[in-house]
Amino acid sequence: MPEFARLMARESLLTARMRRGDTVAGGTHCLAGDCQNCLATIDGVAYVRMCQIADTAAHCAPQFTPEPLPPLESDGDRAATPTRAIHCDVVIIGQGPAGRAEAETARATGLHVVTLDTRDGQDVVGIYPGPLVVARTADGMLQVYPRGEIIVATGAAEIQPVAPGNHLRGLVTSRAADELHELGISLGTTVAVGTPPSTAPSISAAGALVRFEASASDDTRVGAVVTRSADGTEHCHVCDTVALGLGFTPRDALLRMARGMNVRGFGDVLRTADLPPCPESGTVCACLGVTVDDLRSVHARGFHELELVKRATLAGTGPCQGSACVPHIRAFLAAQGAALQPPFTARPLTRQVTLGEIAAGAHHVATPRTALDAEHRALGAHMERLGGWWRPWHYGDVDAEYRAVRHAVSVCDVSTLGKMQISGPGAVALLEHLYPLPIASLKVGRSRYALLLDERGYVIDDGMICRDGETRFTLTFTSGGSTFAELWVRDWAESIGADARILNQTASLGAINVTGPLAKQLLERAGVASPPAFLHHASAEVAGVPCRIFRLSFTGEVSFELHHDVADSVALWRRLMELGTDLGVRPHGLDALMRLRLEKGHIIVGQDTDFDSTPRRLNHEWAVRLDKPAFVGRHAVARTNAIALDRQLCGFAMDGQAPAEGATIWNGETFAGFVTSAAWSPTLGHSVMLGWLRLVDGELPTQVTIDKRAARRVPTPFFDAEGARARA
Amino acid sequence: MLAPERLIATRVAAAPDALDATQWPADAIVLRTAPDEAVVLAIVDAAAVSDPHAIVARETSLFGAWTDRPAAVDLLGRHCDWELPQASRAFAQGAVAGLPLKVWFDDERVLFVVAAPFVVDFVERCR
Repeated sequence: MPEFARLMARESLLTARMRRGDTVAGGTHCLAGDCQNCLATIDGVAYVRMCQIADTAAHCAPQFTPEPLPPLESDGDRAATPTRAIHCDVVIIGQGPAGRAEAETARATGLHVVTLDTRDGQDVVGIYPGPLVVARTADGMLQVYPRGEIIVATGAAEIQPVAPGNHLRGLVTSRAADELHELGISLGTTVAVGTPPSTAPSISAAGALVRFEASASDDTRVGAVVTRSADGTEHCHVCDTVALGLGFTPRDALLRMARGMNVRGFGDVLRTADLPPCPESGTVCACLGVTVDDLRSVHARGFHELELVKRATLAGTGPCQGSACVPHIRAFLAAQGAALQPPFTARPLTRQVTLGEIAAGAHHVATPRTALDAEHRALGAHMERLGGWWRPWHYGDVDAEYRAVRHAVSVCDVSTLGKMQISGPGAVALLEHLYPLPIASLKVGRSRYALLLDERGYVIDDGMICRDGETRFTLTFTSGGSTFAELWVRDWAESIGADARILNQTASLGAINVTGPLAKQLLERAGVASPPAFLHHASAEVAGVPCRIFRLSFTGEVSFELHHDVADSVALWRRLMELGTDLGVRPHGLDALMRLRLEKGHIIVGQDTDFDSTPRRLNHEWAVRLDKPAFVGRHAVARTNAIALDRQLCGFAMDGQAPAEGATIWNGETFAGFVTSAAWSPTLGHSVMLGWLRLVDGELPTQVTIDKRAARRVPTPFFDAEGARARA
Repeated sequence: MLAPERLIATRVAAAPDALDATQWPADAIVLRTAPDEAVVLAIVDAAAVSDPHAIVARETSLFGAWTDRPAAVDLLGRHCDWELPQASRAFAQGAVAGLPLKVWFDDERVLFVVAAPFVVDFVERCR
């Protein structure tokens, strides 16, 4: 961003160009940042006010007309705009006489005061709830958080002229004329309309402003100004410059933006706006080229409110945000007989900012990485964001990964699974309340698959309950659901007053799943002579790494989930790969895992479930024990079980390649549901799917059409229905 | 550039009273992350915690980077929008550069503690 002016030290780019006689755009220059007349593209940044930036050699030649549109920033070479936060007691915006006085008063009481002023290099763009004041600076965006009030002392802007020829060069406000004079910049013969400049020499032109006339030698520059006296006589004043003192309007956009917050105006910003005469002709809004004729046109069509006129003409929506046009539109509407209307609502930004400035300080949500992230990448894994984590989708050969699981042994990084410890005398009661199946009867050292239901009986997560002791449990959750699960468990623990300690160890523990018919052999080589039986768990060293070994199965094969300190993940992973080389061990990614679990008919909460999936709809009634007296969702499950089933998650098989997940399911010509999971099964030689299917007359259709091909509803699991392989 | 290193730590979930009463290892930095949870930058013997149901777990997922206070204040000024504690020794936790961080202010030094899954992003965002 171009450096803001520090005008006490050096002059602005605009006045420097005026001094050098370089071209500046036409229109009435205010030198105060109120108008749009000195906007230019500077150093590739559009809509920069030349009166607000210092004259430095670094500036490229300004481009005055960003045609057709200003360039959009790319994220290529441009560095991120930095941001800085400051906390203080009071913020004072504007450091004119009023703002300085307020700052002195506040500081005298010992308050930490932050002052912001464009001329000191801080261009305030908005006040937001927080409260938060945001300003652009040469060093990036400044975010100021006051504990107390925000004082706006931004003063008042001079009213711009509306008359034919108001686009010509050589027009300045009276205050601007004084400033240019004090800077030693010659204005030539200056005619003053309205209140004359205080110090700049000028000739006063009596009467009302009628029009500006171009110079005979340069039709872009003013050569005369015409005024009309009370008797209707027009007077032409030949000049080089016209200084316009047409009154003031408060710079109160920030005040209007901050309504309802602890914000107070001070000084001229509270003054009543002067009302200029009703404009007769010429351009009202130079930003958007809206003329007095345009105002008449929309008024004739029924747009009588200031807000509606803005929307109909776009006047006030340009770079100056109505600073120039609003006084005249108010005057126009008042002259049509309406009551004087207040200025329109301030928009969220009072100044133009770049996309980089808008984004300053914002961060995308970081995707966490497991301790094995670098290992996966080194193995050439294609990484994807899945379940809220970076995870390997595949390692280049999905079929080989699949075969390793079904026929040999494979390892998979499952560190992303939610992992939580619960301990305490109230642990059993808490889990009995949370889960729809018995907990007290679960023996120490055993594990049980469980659904997690909400109060409406809908499935919100699933995982394992592992009993480590009489009053101690390990719970697992889905990767994407672990954060919510912690909140859920803590919330219920507090609600029922459970005396339980809760520790979320999702990020603390790594987990590697060793799976396949040769998984036991690999564990034996790693020093585990007696691995736990199916749905049992135990602690043991695996290849020298202390682990908790959970015997379960998501792939349908013998599986051991090795939970361990994340500091040991890489060593354990590498050692398992070494020990299993001749067994054909290789890692598998989620692509292979999706096929493997689908063959077993295992659901993935969030993919196969919907927002209103009850256990019955999921065909998981076996995971709910309604003979338990109480658990979250019990009443809803009991109630909905009495209602006729409308749809159910079903298994499907079809020849040929799998359809896309999300493919629609048709029962004849009738829409019957959609596919939630689909994959080609190398073992079965056909495609298998899970999908939602509507019942017809209380029956599930057996033959359906998916992807314009015949498919048949089949029971799940598709493969090894007895689970013999997993229990082997 | 910050170069976080793995911390030796113990996480303890226990009854708040028990945590209050625990005698932690001498000179150990104790980050009280919640009324019922503490992260102790030391090895803690489970027996030291008077709550018999306490969960005392070795914690290897935390990385820490020390820096001097002015540099830390500068970094935090650029990357977080919450107000820093004024005390010379204080603990704070919140979003820094959009990442969940724990910050220990220790007189002239400051320790940034970040969980392993976010270390790469932390270093990238705070350089």
